[in-house]
Amino acid sequence: MKILTCPLNGPRNISEFTYGGEFHHMPDPKNSTARKWAEHVFFHANEAGIVTEWWFHNATSFWFLAERNTITDEVIRTFNASDIFSERQEFNDQTTNAGSN
Amino acid sequence: MSMQSTEQFSPVQYQRRSQLYRRHIATGAAFKAVANILTVDAYSKTIEEVQKASHLGLADLSTHPRLGFKGSGALSWLNQQKLQLPENPNQAVQQAKGSLIARLSQEEFLILNDLDMASLTAEKLEARYSLDSTDGVYLLPRNDSHCWLALTGIQAPDCLAKLCGIDMRVDKFANGEIAQTSLARVNAIILRYDLGVTPCFYILSDVSLTEFLWDGLLDSMQEFQGVPIGISALKKLSQDI
Repeated sequence: MKILTCPLNGPRNISEFTYGGEFHHMPDPKNSTARKWAEHVFFHANEAGIVTEWWFHNATSFWFLAERNTITDEVIRTFNASDIFSERQEFNDQTTNAGSN
Repeated sequence: MSMQSTEQFSPVQYQRRSQLYRRHIATGAAFKAVANILTVDAYSKTIEEVQKASHLGLADLSTHPRLGFKGSGALSWLNQQKLQLPENPNQAVQQAKGSLIARLSQEEFLILNDLDMASLTAEKLEARYSLDSTDGVYLLPRNDSHCWLALTGIQAPDCLAKLCGIDMRVDKFANGEIAQTSLARVNAIILRYDLGVTPCFYILSDVSLTEFLWDGLLDSMQEFQGVPIGISALKKLSQDI
């Protein structure tokens, strides 16, 4: 069994985790184009090399980030999302429908 | 304490019942009222059960109160309540009257009442909490969301090794340590807090899986001659220092 190290819980069997997709910053929903928003939600760059990904520890509902080499499947490091998101993101107009043109 | 007969105390007389109460009745359990809850006193003579519990036993504590708090203000609010809190996630600390406070992450805590119901910590905290006046603290009711089992005895780590990927040998998994992991392929919180000199692992998992876990653990315990035990055996073990 592959082992992944959760920043909160330590090394665990990979069966305790769920893959959450590539990490990229969310575009501003107010000013984003539909194309940009769709890319954020649906499209993956699918790069060969070291990428940053979201992972989820099922037992604790804990989301974190991992740097993984997609060629060798080696996990370089895992870290807390708070290392990137230090404060809450606010968008002025909460009613904006980002999916519309 | 004397054992009570099932005729005197029946779970059906109580609003709060364990999901396992039918199994307890079928196994011939004697029930006991502790404060305002009903729990299994013993399945056989207490003296025999204590011996078995120190070897390998499984108890159902699901009627005992428990609750959680979560949020950016949870740590400071619990500190204001004059409780001893674990410094790091995945650790538990026992309070003066026996209740346990577990830290599940930087901002989430779980409170387990003591076996005797002497402290009433969970009830008191729930009564003091108010969403309006407590900024950044969110109450997590756990009585109805999680079952609460206790696996005791020197063979408990061997039994857990069959169901769980974490090394729970007593020299590897310290007293007061917590693992939030997969147990018999279901998510569970496993908290080691010994009863006197006897290893004890409290297990909390989704309430809808109580019967599955109970049966699975008993099945896994068979090869070590493990048996279900009542609260009298747990109490006796906790006094055995």
